[in-house]
Amino acid sequence: MILFQNVSKEYPKTGFALRDVSFHLRRGEFVFVTGPSGAGKTTLVKLITMEERPSAGTVRVSGFSSDRIKRREIPYLRRRLGVVFQDFRLLKNRTARENVAFSMEVIGTPREQIGLAVPRTLAAVGLASKADHLPAELSGGEQQRVAIARALVNEPFVLLADEPTGNLDERVSKDILRVCKDINLRGMAVLFVTHDRSLLDDHVGARVIELDSGALVSDTEAGDS
Amino acid sequence: MRYTPREAFFAFRRAPLLTALSVVTIAFALYTLAVFGLVWLNIERVLDDVAQRVEVIVFLEDGTDPGESATLMSELATYPEVDSIAYVSKDEALARARADLSEYRDLYEDLEVNPLPASIEVALKPGFRRSAQVREVAGRVEQFPFVEEVKYGEEWVSKLNFLQDISLFLGFVVGGIFAAVAFVAIGATINLVLIAREDEFAIMKMVGATPGFIAQPFILEGFVKGVIGAVLALVLLTATFSALEQRVLSLGFYTPAQIVVGVVLGGLLGAVGSVLSLRRHLYGGTT
Repeated sequence: MILFQNVSKEYPKTGFALRDVSFHLRRGEFVFVTGPSGAGKTTLVKLITMEERPSAGTVRVSGFSSDRIKRREIPYLRRRLGVVFQDFRLLKNRTARENVAFSMEVIGTPREQIGLAVPRTLAAVGLASKADHLPAELSGGEQQRVAIARALVNEPFVLLADEPTGNLDERVSKDILRVCKDINLRGMAVLFVTHDRSLLDDHVGARVIELDSGALVSDTEAGDS
Repeated sequence: MRYTPREAFFAFRRAPLLTALSVVTIAFALYTLAVFGLVWLNIERVLDDVAQRVEVIVFLEDGTDPGESATLMSELATYPEVDSIAYVSKDEALARARADLSEYRDLYEDLEVNPLPASIEVALKPGFRRSAQVREVAGRVEQFPFVEEVKYGEEWVSKLNFLQDISLFLGFVVGGIFAAVAFVAIGATINLVLIAREDEFAIMKMVGATPGFIAQPFILEGFVKGVIGAVLALVLLTATFSALEQRVLSLGFYTPAQIVVGVVLGGLLGAVGSVLSLRRHLYGGTT
């Protein structure tokens, strides 16, 4: 599903962001990626979305390889990924429903299908009653749920959550993590990036990939990759 | 409504000030261009009027047989350059001289012999009025033995040609500069619109929209703005023109076909401006 093979990423100005990282995320798996800021977590997400290409090594995502993918194929790769960010990135002048529908419209989904999928997905993240609210009328946690719904609505194989709780307090952060866990229970792989190790306390036994200064320092399933 | 038109019109409603700004910029840019175009068109028209007077006058020797002059005339009629031919007899020439040169009337009053020759006036078709072409026709006519002289005002035809060349050159160069300025101004306002919507681009790219799909509503938006701007420019231009026409007589305006072309051109400028700005936003930096 997602396979990193000896991946390094070097930026001309700031040097190595990732150094010789290898891991394998299988279908339906839940994995935490953790580490202090500057550890290379966001670079790792950008390599999966192919917003960045590795300086060395290969990233394989759902049949696409960083070695061979053409620029015009990248949109089709991204349709198989759901991405959520710390800053939500919702369109301010559109309602929750419109924000979710937007991500279906822009890949040319037929309208009937959008009409069915949007309410269902909003309900799945517990926001059915707030479909017509603008982002400004929603709390931070609710906005992040909209963002999650938007990431899910195109039925990706993996949800990439890049510090989704960075702007949220502890209680709401746990809520968001629970939403992601629920999604995982329904069979979707989740890659949950966070610098906040306290979030992991309730999830003893979960797979954790730890990065530090661009290197993979531990993977609780290392050896399988 | 389908996605593309809905998004394009949504943009107008959502950012009315920015939309108005870009439409007005487009209108002024096109207005400036159109005013220049109109000035140029009128200069060309005046030069064309003058050029219509380019003709070759073939003076015939006295006593030329009418049959011979008729042969010459039918020969002239076969020249591709020739528009019309008129025969002026000796008597007509004298009558004209008397009418045209009234101050010398006495000179022509008591003539026993008519000193003026019969002539053939040859008007040339548009496109055959350059001095070299006129000289060529004159040269061919001079070959006929009964032709005494051929005149075509060589000097003023060259001057006219020079003016026509300058006008054409200025038309292209200055017009090109005006068009370039209009294009840059339009591009800049469209770019403003796009900057205001960077967040949308980022989301569209993130969820896997293709650049072509992302571009469609913006191209339509640019086209519609260009058309509205062009119509606005046309209204302004019409007002300017009618104000001018009351002072200066008989100015030429654009033909309906030219107006339609202009409006469509405005739309295309808007659309192309959008495409060029979009390339930077869609492909610039990271994909």
